[in-house]
Amino acid sequence: MNKNSGYKKSAVLLTVLLILLCLFSLAALLKPAEKEASYTADIYQNGILIMSIPLNEDTETRLFTITGENGCVNEVEVRPGSIGIRSADCPDKLCVRQGFISDSRLPITCLPNRLVIQLRPVPDSRETEPVPDIVTY
Amino acid sequence: MNIKKLTLLALFTTASLAVYVIESAIPPLVPIPGIKLGLANIVTLVLLRRFSARDALLVLFCRIFLSALLFGQALSLLYSLAGGMASLAVMAGVMALLQKKLLFLTGASGGLAHNLGQLFTAWIITATPGVLAYLPFLVLSGIITGIFTGFCAHFLDRYLPS
Repeated sequence: MNKNSGYKKSAVLLTVLLILLCLFSLAALLKPAEKEASYTADIYQNGILIMSIPLNEDTETRLFTITGENGCVNEVEVRPGSIGIRSADCPDKLCVRQGFISDSRLPITCLPNRLVIQLRPVPDSRETEPVPDIVTY
Repeated sequence: MNIKKLTLLALFTTASLAVYVIESAIPPLVPIPGIKLGLANIVTLVLLRRFSARDALLVLFCRIFLSALLFGQALSLLYSLAGGMASLAVMAGVMALLQKKLLFLTGASGGLAHNLGQLFTAWIITATPGVLAYLPFLVLSGIITGIFTGFCAHFLDRYLPS
């Protein structure tokens, strides 16, 4: 009888632990993203920052390719305010299916090509920019 | 190891390899790396319950190396090993703690450990802390798919001749 209650106790503890983990994860997922004025896309390859692209409404749409060390290729498309991977030669194409991102919640990851694209919020530049004051007029 | 056990373990290895192949034919539902059902885990669970952690480890190793040899790249071998080892270690512990009962709880812990092991490997390989943003997704999916494989293993174990 004693042995029996021992396993029940650990079962209850384990269940509580798993439920708590689920709740924490759900809370983290449902937290709305803080929408910043603009972002900079940091592209990492093997953990090294290889490119930083400022993303805002004025960013022109363009395409470029990133080649990995084993000759793996990702075609990256930059659009006004967002970035995504257009095509890739990895087997599962998960990076392409992650679509275009426009906030810093989730990065785009291509594990076979060890590529991570992450958006970093940029402090609103309009406040720090020198504003033409009355003296100019 | 007697011949009967050797044959059985070989059979289990083949079954898990087949299940693994069938699963990889299913297109991923969520475009997040690392989220999958983990059906091959059913075999590991059944082996842990019927035989020992050592036998489960043996079959797991064979399955991972065979699948890497037949279909995978070197990189997927690393992820499979990390996830497989982490989940087997945790499941062996939980299985003993729960006295081989409530298989779905063991499965959930194993699924969680598998995903955490793979996320850790992804962190090391890409050397980018940004991939940790997937943590809540992987925790949830590991627990949910683990409960599912746990129930599968429970019913498989009931219908398999002993």
